Amino acid sequence: MQAVLRLPASLGRKVRTSPLLLSLAVAPMSVILMLVAVMLWISFQRGVFGTASAIYTLENYRAILTDSFLYRVLWNTAIFTLSTTFFALVIGLPIAWLVERTTIPGKTLIYAIMTLGLLIPGIYTAMGWTFIAHPRIGFLNRWLVDIFGLASGPINIATPIGMGFVQGLSLAALAFILTAQVFRAMNPTLEEAAKVHGMSLVRTLRHVTLPLALPGILAAVIYITTIGIATFDIPAILGLGNRVYLLSTFIYIKVHPQGSGLPEYGITCAVGTFMVVVAGLFTLWYGQVLRHGHRFQIVTGKGYRPALIELGGWSVVGWGFIGFYAFIAKLLPLLLIAYAAFTPFFAPPSFEMMRQLSLVHFYDMDWELVFRGLLNTAKLMLVVPLLVLLFGFCISWLVVRSRSRARYALEFGAFLPHALPEVILAIGALLLSLFVLRDFLPLYGSVWLIGLVYAVARLAFATRAINASLLQIHSELEEAAFVAGISTIQTAWRVVAPLVLPTLLSVWIWTVLLVYRELTVAVFLTVHDNITLPAVIWSYWYGGAMNKAAAITLLMTLVLTPLILAFWWVGRRSLVAMQ
Amino acid sequence: MISQSKFTRQTRIASIVAVLIFGATIYSAAVQAAMAATLAQVIEGAKKEGAIRGQWGQMSFGGSAGFAEIVAGVNKKYGLTLKGQYTPGPDMERIMLTITQETAAGQPASTDVYLGNSQAMLQAMQVNVLTPTDWRAILDRRLPSEPGFDPVLSGGIGVAFAAPVVGILYNSSLVKGADIPHRLEDVLNPKWKGKIASTPYAAGLRELAMPGLLGREYIINFTKKLSKQIGGLTRCGEAERITSGEFLMHVLTCGGHDAIQLQRIGAPIAHTVVEEGTIIHSRYAGIPKNSRSPNGAALFIAYLHTPEGQALLWKHDGMDLYLYPESNMKKEVEKVRAAGGKVIVNTPQWLNSLKGYQEMQKELEKILREGGQ
Repeated sequence: MQAVLRLPASLGRKVRTSPLLLSLAVAPMSVILMLVAVMLWISFQRGVFGTASAIYTLENYRAILTDSFLYRVLWNTAIFTLSTTFFALVIGLPIAWLVERTTIPGKTLIYAIMTLGLLIPGIYTAMGWTFIAHPRIGFLNRWLVDIFGLASGPINIATPIGMGFVQGLSLAALAFILTAQVFRAMNPTLEEAAKVHGMSLVRTLRHVTLPLALPGILAAVIYITTIGIATFDIPAILGLGNRVYLLSTFIYIKVHPQGSGLPEYGITCAVGTFMVVVAGLFTLWYGQVLRHGHRFQIVTGKGYRPALIELGGWSVVGWGFIGFYAFIAKLLPLLLIAYAAFTPFFAPPSFEMMRQLSLVHFYDMDWELVFRGLLNTAKLMLVVPLLVLLFGFCISWLVVRSRSRARYALEFGAFLPHALPEVILAIGALLLSLFVLRDFLPLYGSVWLIGLVYAVARLAFATRAINASLLQIHSELEEAAFVAGISTIQTAWRVVAPLVLPTLLSVWIWTVLLVYRELTVAVFLTVHDNITLPAVIWSYWYGGAMNKAAAITLLMTLVLTPLILAFWWVGRRSLVAMQ
Repeated sequence: MISQSKFTRQTRIASIVAVLIFGATIYSAAVQAAMAATLAQVIEGAKKEGAIRGQWGQMSFGGSAGFAEIVAGVNKKYGLTLKGQYTPGPDMERIMLTITQETAAGQPASTDVYLGNSQAMLQAMQVNVLTPTDWRAILDRRLPSEPGFDPVLSGGIGVAFAAPVVGILYNSSLVKGADIPHRLEDVLNPKWKGKIASTPYAAGLRELAMPGLLGREYIINFTKKLSKQIGGLTRCGEAERITSGEFLMHVLTCGGHDAIQLQRIGAPIAHTVVEEGTIIHSRYAGIPKNSRSPNGAALFIAYLHTPEGQALLWKHDGMDLYLYPESNMKKEVEKVRAAGGKVIVNTPQWLNSLKGYQEMQKELEKILREGGQ
């Protein structure tokens, strides 16, 4: 039996769905609704939640609206977010185009470079940049001071723009993956027509390629912008200690008062309430793109043969750009991790420190803790991406293909967790499991509580990517399948899923990697038995054992590197086979 | 010859002394019996529990390595085979809050044994989440005290086991000779502008602002100047940001133990106490009411008070309890007291007796946080 979502009469089409498909799309929505409801509930409370000292009040809203400090924080956040998005796209977009639309050699290696970067926790990218561009200990500044005889280092990474640059380097990989799939699925017909009519490569890019890729690029912009608003690790390392506060670090100091008073969950959740509004605005914006999505439908049942642009000697320039990015964004932080892992204490690199290199941090490692973290992380890496794919595919199909107004709710619901700082989702989940679900669903202290929040939080990433791909698949293929009497589930499995397989594969791999490095949620939901590997690393770093944290990071990067390379090898082979 | 009255008086005195000695002997035997019974019960209980979980900061109390050695010491001393499982955790106040929420929700505590500072123990006193315990009956040696510092908290909800001294941490390669600060004002020298750090929670300053020490007005003014002088805020325990040269000094610390630890591995770091006065920052242990291994936790804490336990604390965290005769901190505390500055032992009882302490801390935190904007 199949449910029917009715379309507006003007479009004269119907999208069939099945109760199973609908249930899988709606299930995560109920979790999101619960978390948002808890957030709203807490936003009206003060005192220790769940104890007699908690009282209902509007004071949290009054406090944030009258806090001039918060306005400064918002201004810093705006500058940081714009910088982050700018730098991520300036780096990620050209590399995506080079890989997917040109004949640049070594594509698997480029994918590996872009992916491996995600294995390096943001805290180390930030610490690496402290040694590069800190006004006092950054070697770049020290060189500039020495060369030009300056009084102090001219570069300060601990500013909103500086932090945005470092975050942009970190998120360029994400911009790459979000836009690569768009370029990958692009029909070359229009580009070839432009070439036939004598348009230069630059004009073709500007007038044909980029407009065709606009939905995907816009998706990346929205996604990265919202990450910029909510991101925590790099602002925490570079900004918190230097008194440059962003929204995420403002929330952090409210939840971790570090001395006086109690955590102000109410303030945090009141801020979260406003973030829901921001999420709504972003969703409306994105909805506008979706509404005009049919203009970009370029992969049809009639042919799908993307052609590549011959780069020739320009490949060297392309590789130079990628190499420079890899060096400053990946290699330097990785070198710093290796250096920190082998030095007895944290100090700038010097010959003196090189003489003190040792294996002491590996020798002293608490392996029981490391393996406990690894086991929990492995469980999450296996289960969460599958859930994300399942839920994401169902939601995306309904959002893109349906013309029902209900799709806006689905779209909003899927995007909401992304626009909310993850700390708010984590607090919601924590209090939900502690005080609401405790008697019938013992999730508190379980790794599956973390998994649930991860799955919900990653939905936006999955749906953005799958939406962009589905937009480029003409619905005539599904209509043909329906006419042939194939059921909805079979159509999804046998017609649609194979067409968007590269995207599904990308989403899966990236979700695995994002789960591997996910920190914020884990920090809030880790109790004891459910600690994840990033939480172990964070705990060491946060507790001041930076070198030990570096040692674990290095080990895990080395262990996972072959796996990542294998993922990409398999992924590229399946792509080539499809093409 | 002894007179009758004198004989009678001496006989009475002898009788009284004899009765007192007898009574004392009986009492002592009874107490020892009670103690033995209590300890035996605790050991028996710990055997049944079989495991103990600990959670505190990795740089506190030796982290993983310290925990493992202490559990091994407990097993050896009490003939147990407890399996220890350590998880690095957030700051002491945060863990206390987690225990509070878990208690309210009827969940087992994240950590079976709680180790924290006076501020966190004050929180514990207010929310009543730690188990009252007769510590003096469990410890295997006399627990000393001094005026103004009873290591056992009222009701026995916690017991102090270590107490470092608050001061200024500095990079000894970059701050040398006459540059080493001796008074608080020394850090306001323009040459340090932007190069020093303080804590986001006004460690040391919040206590020095109390009546009887340097007072509110002095510390508020000093903190306002300090806030313009500092380049950033780092937590206690982030001493490697001093060794790296990111900051040259940390004003004020939660204790000099970080320096002691890092000096042992050759790091360029040192700690100094200012002449105006200082705080002895006591550390406490307690058993959460929802602990899964309360007996194991009691033995863990009891072991911290043994000479072996104190030696492990010194080895792993550069601190111990200066009240014990073998203490390494004892000399430092005596030196600080002899210097003539104002010294106070920071205890939950002391904090609880102060009016406006938390408000003062919030005010100082705000100055430090926003002063540089």
